[in-house]
Amino acid sequence: MNKKRAVILSTAIVFSFFAVYLRLTDLMILSHKRLSEKAKLQHIKVEDIHVRRGIIVDRRGRELALNLELESLYCDPENLKLDNEGAKKLASAMSKEPKIVLAKVPAEGRFAWIARKLEDDTAEKIKELHIKGLGFLTEAKRFYPKGELASHILGFVGVENQPLEGVELRYDTYLKTTGGKVFFRRDASGRTLSSGVDIEAKGNNVVLTIDEGLQYLVEKELDKAMVRWRAAAASVIMMDPFTGEILALANRPSYNPNSPGSVSISDRRNRAITDCYEPGSTFKIIIGVASIEEKVAKHDTLFDVSKGSIDAGGKTIRDVHKYGILTFKEVIQKSSNVGSITIGMKLGKERIYKYAKLLGIGEKTGIDLPGEVSGWIRPPEKWSGTSIGAIPIGQEVAATPLQMLRVYSAIANGGFLVRPHVVSEIISPDGQVLSSLRDKEVKQIISSKTAETFKDILKSVVEEGGTGRSASVEGDEVAGKTGTAQIINPKTKRYSKEKYVSSFVGFVPADNPRLAMIVVIYEPKGQIYGGVVAAPVFRDIANQALSYLNIPRGKDAYETPLLVAK
Amino acid sequence: MIKTGNRRNMVSFIIKPLVIAFLLFSLFGLVWLRSHVVTLEYNLSDLEKKKIECLKERKMLLAAKANILSFGKVEASLSKNQGFVFPDRIRVIHVKKQKESLPYKASLDKKRLIKP
Repeated sequence: MNKKRAVILSTAIVFSFFAVYLRLTDLMILSHKRLSEKAKLQHIKVEDIHVRRGIIVDRRGRELALNLELESLYCDPENLKLDNEGAKKLASAMSKEPKIVLAKVPAEGRFAWIARKLEDDTAEKIKELHIKGLGFLTEAKRFYPKGELASHILGFVGVENQPLEGVELRYDTYLKTTGGKVFFRRDASGRTLSSGVDIEAKGNNVVLTIDEGLQYLVEKELDKAMVRWRAAAASVIMMDPFTGEILALANRPSYNPNSPGSVSISDRRNRAITDCYEPGSTFKIIIGVASIEEKVAKHDTLFDVSKGSIDAGGKTIRDVHKYGILTFKEVIQKSSNVGSITIGMKLGKERIYKYAKLLGIGEKTGIDLPGEVSGWIRPPEKWSGTSIGAIPIGQEVAATPLQMLRVYSAIANGGFLVRPHVVSEIISPDGQVLSSLRDKEVKQIISSKTAETFKDILKSVVEEGGTGRSASVEGDEVAGKTGTAQIINPKTKRYSKEKYVSSFVGFVPADNPRLAMIVVIYEPKGQIYGGVVAAPVFRDIANQALSYLNIPRGKDAYETPLLVAK
Repeated sequence: MIKTGNRRNMVSFIIKPLVIAFLLFSLFGLVWLRSHVVTLEYNLSDLEKKKIECLKERKMLLAAKANILSFGKVEASLSKNQGFVFPDRIRVIHVKKQKESLPYKASLDKKRLIKP
């Protein structure tokens, strides 16, 4: 009996062990892969690394574009418990209509965005509703703390932080960074253990050549000019004539990059580099430079413009006043059309074209912003009979304000054609300078002697008897040139008699230039002349900019020492 | 012989429990260390969460600071409330640093005090 029991017991034990063995075989060999993956899912939490764009700062390190961490609301439609009352409360928290909110919830699926990048207080209100099936994810929102300031330089990004304009677009490869995944271990209650890995990946930072203070002064004066002249648009560019660093660049109309969709596309256009205009009398500098370089004229060569008009290919071009006999210097100072055309005829179309191209007309300047156009000047073989009477006075030519500023900068810096740029350095998140984008070599295109001669001529434009008198800055000499150009009416294909472009371009202090600047006002009302409309804007900006930069006044910069030695 | 056997028994009597105690202690130590490491990892994880929150707050404050310090706001605030104006260049006087104009400094050089 006992033996029988022992056999039964031992058989039961053997079978039990065999069952355990089979189960272990199943768990450890047959189902190993499936079970280990399931365990991984339970123990390991995978999160995306937060990818953040680098910040953009001005030349003095002041933040112009940075990132905010905001919460986005999503729903899990399969688990969402949202009745009518809940929908009303949710819509109220979001300050929206319930039907708009409900339209974002699909009938099926496991994930759908309801609202992206909510303000903190809105997110808190929604959290307090405790609606099952709603969740939050943190996302980065690009924020431009200065609002409209420098918007045409900075550009903006879309809702997914994809670059759409300006420096954001041009320097996207530096600003953005790659993401990845971080693995966290977690326990049964969902608590995560430290991974020891930084969950945020930052892009490189971009240092602009822009100075926020100068940019503010430019935009303030530009706004005043827009109101004063009820203009359709306006642009101002301020540049260091020796390095090509853009210190300020502004256009009107403008927009706030925090809400770029609230304005039309045309308001977002960076007119200073994307729009061409006929430069008018400011183009006479090219004829002047060419004639001095080619020894066609000297500053004291006399030109008889007493007739007050000249015939060019059957078209008569007139001066505003009859001047009599003018020296070359006075032709530029008084902006005589007849004198300029006479010089142009002496030069001939090939040499005019050669010097226009040499000074960068019809060529992109290479500025590091998207959308720059090249402008145009027809090659000599395509000139019409009237072209020789039009091109020397800045008609039949299209240039951007930046191209014209570059030409005048070449006079300011002794004959070098600089490359304008808005970014000076790329800096890594830990502060290392990755690349310096300053040009090492600049090409000299005209002799320094010609540049000096023309500097004197441009100074006379702002002196008594010149057209740019109202650009003069007290305490410093200004060199520059006014421009008044008609706009072609697209319907009639002829020059409009009402619409003009008024401009002033120059540099200050004339003998030791620190700032080169162009002011272009499109379609001013009441007055049309560059000397009346644009020159005062130049003066007001230059006055404040020199003060801001702490540049002493020229001749009487230093007063007698006030400290008494006793 | 008897003495030797007794000594062996004594040694094994003492060593055996010690070894067992040591093994148990080591085992306990390992478990304790492991649990301590896990606790530390939890603490680190909590601190990391706090760090993320602080960084978020820092970003918000940085943005607010940049916004408040924008030139437009500063000028508007100072000109309205404090009566500040943008400096007029004509009224700014730059004083050149010159040796002669340094304030008079009395010398305490002993040599000067010695009468010839």
